[in-house]
Amino acid sequence: MSLLEVRHLSRHYGALKAVDDVSFTLDEGTILGFIGPNGAGKSTTMRILATLDVPTRGEVLLGGKSAVDWPDQVRPMIGYMPDRYGTYDDMTVEEFLDFFARAYRLKNPQRAQRLNSVMDFTGLQPLAQKLTAELSKGMKQRVALGRTLLHDPRLLILDEPADGLDPRARIELRELLKALAAQGKAVLISSHILTELSEICDSCAIIEQGKLLATGPVSEILARSDGGVHSSELVLRLLGPTGELLARAERLLLEQALVVKVLVEGAAVRVRLELPPGSAPAGGWADEAAARLLKVMIGAELPVCSFQARELDLEDAFLTVTRGRVQ
Amino acid sequence: MSASAAVPTDAWSSFAARLSERLNPIVVKEVRQGLRTRAFWVFFGLMLLACLTISMVAWATAAQTSDAGQGFFVAYFVCLAVVQFFVIPYTAYRSMAREREDETWVLLTLTGLGPRRILRGKLLSFVVQGTLYASAAGPFLVFSYYLNGIDLPTIVLSVVLGAAWQLFLTAVCVSMATLAQSRLVRGLVHFLVLGGLLWGFVSGIGFMGALMESGRQWLTEDAALVTATGIFFTLVSFAALLFEAAAARLSLSSENYARGPRLVFVLQVVVGLGLALWAWREEHFSSDLLLVAQMVAAVYFLVVGLFIASDHDGMSRNHWASSFRLQLFMPGALRGYLLVLLGLGAVSLVLNLLYPVSGTEVLVMRAAPAYVALYLSLSMLVARWLPHHPALTAVLVRVVFAALLLLGMGAPPLVAAIAGHDPTAPAYNVFNPLLGLINLGRPAHASEQRLLWVAAAAAVAVLLTLGSLLSRDVRPQVARV
Repeated sequence: MSLLEVRHLSRHYGALKAVDDVSFTLDEGTILGFIGPNGAGKSTTMRILATLDVPTRGEVLLGGKSAVDWPDQVRPMIGYMPDRYGTYDDMTVEEFLDFFARAYRLKNPQRAQRLNSVMDFTGLQPLAQKLTAELSKGMKQRVALGRTLLHDPRLLILDEPADGLDPRARIELRELLKALAAQGKAVLISSHILTELSEICDSCAIIEQGKLLATGPVSEILARSDGGVHSSELVLRLLGPTGELLARAERLLLEQALVVKVLVEGAAVRVRLELPPGSAPAGGWADEAAARLLKVMIGAELPVCSFQARELDLEDAFLTVTRGRVQ
Repeated sequence: MSASAAVPTDAWSSFAARLSERLNPIVVKEVRQGLRTRAFWVFFGLMLLACLTISMVAWATAAQTSDAGQGFFVAYFVCLAVVQFFVIPYTAYRSMAREREDETWVLLTLTGLGPRRILRGKLLSFVVQGTLYASAAGPFLVFSYYLNGIDLPTIVLSVVLGAAWQLFLTAVCVSMATLAQSRLVRGLVHFLVLGGLLWGFVSGIGFMGALMESGRQWLTEDAALVTATGIFFTLVSFAALLFEAAAARLSLSSENYARGPRLVFVLQVVVGLGLALWAWREEHFSSDLLLVAQMVAAVYFLVVGLFIASDHDGMSRNHWASSFRLQLFMPGALRGYLLVLLGLGAVSLVLNLLYPVSGTEVLVMRAAPAYVALYLSLSMLVARWLPHHPALTAVLVRVVFAALLLLGMGAPPLVAAIAGHDPTAPAYNVFNPLLGLINLGRPAHASEQRLLWVAAAAAVAVLLTLGSLLSRDVRPQVARV
């Protein structure tokens, strides 16, 4: 049984359907990326999952218990980090975490042990006596994550945690989240920085205008969104390309089998390959097709200086699924 | 190793550690934050400095006057009042408003503390801060006793009522802070709080001045104890009501937000009636006191009752909707309305049974609850006829109530004047809640027939409202926003 089950969740504000019939599940030890443009309904869904709001319809089960009917009982299982840090500027890191540990009814000596363990994990130990107002954004984010972990929740709901962080802080956050998943925690993370999510998420859920468009591992979403078609992409560069050279390459590529789309972007040519609908992909079909194309290009004396396969990622899945309807 | 892990070494540290484990964490946090602010130490220092300066003046002039204690007590009290009636409530408002603005409120709620415990912690921490200020000013207040001209009971009464006034103002401010959602409303509320606190400060000082003037004489009167108890109970119970209303507003949609305010409402009704009967006995069974009590009850049920009854139709969750409808402490407009009607009926019945059946005032005694029921019911009924989003029902009821009350009091005299009649003419003002009542009390205009008209209209309005609320209570509604 999944730790989190969301069934036909809807939240309407009058005529506005902020969340409309959303269903998905999340297992322990996995990270689910919740993706969608601004105003898609991500935060509303997350607030309902965190028991801060009630749905108009639908059910949220956490460990088999209804989060809507029994919010008090499921709250200890949830660690929620909203898109704002929510720190008190005039408290030190240790005082802040200690206050929340008390609020979670942790008694000493367990409280002190938990505090130390959280500060060790998040790397806040050296900053324990610093005022939170003096911390960088990345460090404030760590404090917020530390607060979320104090009561050892099974499910982490993180709303845009990487927003506004510098690259180093993002990488560090990513590593922390991977470590948390390895500890067996289920992580639901929202972001509109897709490259950020693609590296850590086991699966993703794409939401737009309140509706869940796709859910599952990225490769499955891509295959499903293309109607079961298997595809791959190549990027090649020509030496000192002129317009004529690029046009020749484009024409030649479009004549080849499996090539469905050629896009010239500056000096680069992006080639989209697809197997015919319904055909079962043989292992390495994309590599074979790439080798054949390279042979044709060289045979036609086109000056290819770089040729590489590009793996389709979350960004492709998102663009394919939302079909450019992003506001 | 963190400081909080330190093991207490002596008995005192051990006791402090045990106490801190038991205390509401909000109190610890707020006191810690409060004592760290520059404002606390600036006001603390200024108050001490002012008290010391006054004491030096008192010492210098002691030989010239033999009963200057009263004047110096007022001077010390003003120093304390600046922080008790203005600085502390305002700090409480800012603290609560910041929790809302920074959304740390949400994080606190998720810890399982709950809105009531959080608010209680906030209030208590500001009471602690107030106590710190008062403990510094206390020796000076007692010192004024030795300057003669003021007795100890007056000093004690002033301090106790001052503390109740501070609690009331702080509760008002914390409650107001929960209203601030948008930036515009926040600005407006901030302005209102500042204005209200200035008024609160001036009123507090004015009341204390009056108490000084007539304190000693007043304390010897029969009704002194019941009056002091009444004032104290009013301040504390309204602070509790505001506190519960704020907690209800901050409760999550899935919680039973109605229980707290309704319990305080019932407590106010029961104790208020008890105090009225106690005062009636102390005043040698004066019928005038019963009339005043009925009027106060009418205003109370009209205002507080309106807020209790103007809840949402239906429930946000099925288990509320399917619970027994007469569980009057559960959320919902029907239950709130029934509770108010029951309270109004019970209080009016007791007061009317005790009132002698003679004179025209008996008509006023009977008409007052009818007017309350009429206007309360009409507001609830009319608001539900108007198209609106279900989440806005409560607000709409209050707006309609204000409009109906203004219309009921203003339109009849206007129509009478246009028709060339006396604006106060009874025939035009039957349903006017103000002039209608006044006319019933005038021997020349008293009429049982008009009382029957008002009672009949109230009964019809109550029945229609009950029908409307019953039908809506079983119909599923959109959840609270």
